[in-house]
Amino acid sequence: MSFTRKKIVEFSLFLLILFWCIGIFWEVVYHFYPNAVIYLPILKYNYSIVCHTEPEKLFNIFHFNSLTCSRCTGIYFGGLFSSMIVLFSSLKTISLRLFLLSSVPMFLDVILYSSGIYTYSKYFALFTGLLLGSVGFLYIHNSIIELLNKPEGKN
Amino acid sequence: MKKYLPAIVAGFGAGVLHVVPLTKALTCCLVVPLAAVAAIMLEQKAEKFFGEFPLKRGLVLGLLTGAFAALFGSFFDILITFITKTNDILLALNELNTAIETLPLADQVKEDTLNLMHSVAEQIRETGFSPLYAFGITFNNLIVDAIFGTIGGLIGTKVLNARNSKVQ
Repeated sequence: MSFTRKKIVEFSLFLLILFWCIGIFWEVVYHFYPNAVIYLPILKYNYSIVCHTEPEKLFNIFHFNSLTCSRCTGIYFGGLFSSMIVLFSSLKTISLRLFLLSSVPMFLDVILYSSGIYTYSKYFALFTGLLLGSVGFLYIHNSIIELLNKPEGKN
Repeated sequence: MKKYLPAIVAGFGAGVLHVVPLTKALTCCLVVPLAAVAAIMLEQKAEKFFGEFPLKRGLVLGLLTGAFAALFGSFFDILITFITKTNDILLALNELNTAIETLPLADQVKEDTLNLMHSVAEQIRETGFSPLYAFGITFNNLIVDAIFGTIGGLIGTKVLNARNSKVQ
């Protein structure tokens, strides 16, 4: 795959994640552009498909709530961060081991707070989400590039 | 039809889990990607094929699983709404009313937004079915679940290939 085509794919991924992340903080958007509130019900439903959106677990920034929980917000913003990194660098590969390792803190957090060992922390959930999101995006990016690099008929 | 069976089975499972609040709270955004992985595993078992699973096939299977999960999930959501004559939209309506009233919007925009929401809510309360709601959730589910299914298909293929190469 040519360098230009690769960068177009990477830029498209970046834009897709960027729009998704803007939607997460739609409360900020409609604070500045009030007419944008008409999209709120659709967006709320959209994010409720992929997140439990429990009110006490929503991430809060300057009194604006996210439309997804802290962990999901972390995952998507981690993905956005990594999609920016790959745009400006030529990162090689991410191993499966690193990808699985990055998911360990998140699963540990879910298990430990669910079993009542400690109480839910939005910041810890955000951090574990960021970790998995950033490494996860790099792993998915590798898979997409690998898929596009394979000649026709060899997929 | 047999070709699509793993995607249909896994998609059905994810569709059911979509409407169960407890599983939704625990698995969050992982339901559809995990269903895509399950579909790949089912396909491997059905075809007794444990070599390197093609990445493109995993991607297509993930996409199909997401699409079936969306269709089944929407169907169950519409069915439950039809039976109970209530859903999350009705519960969120009061919150939305307050939010819109506090915003510096043009009166016409406020009125149009509230009228649209109230007409949907009214139809659901009276008949349990709103075409706009049904179309909206099916369309939304199709797009979001297809994306998440594709991601699950890609990751699942690579994880399963790595596991299979260790076994061989």
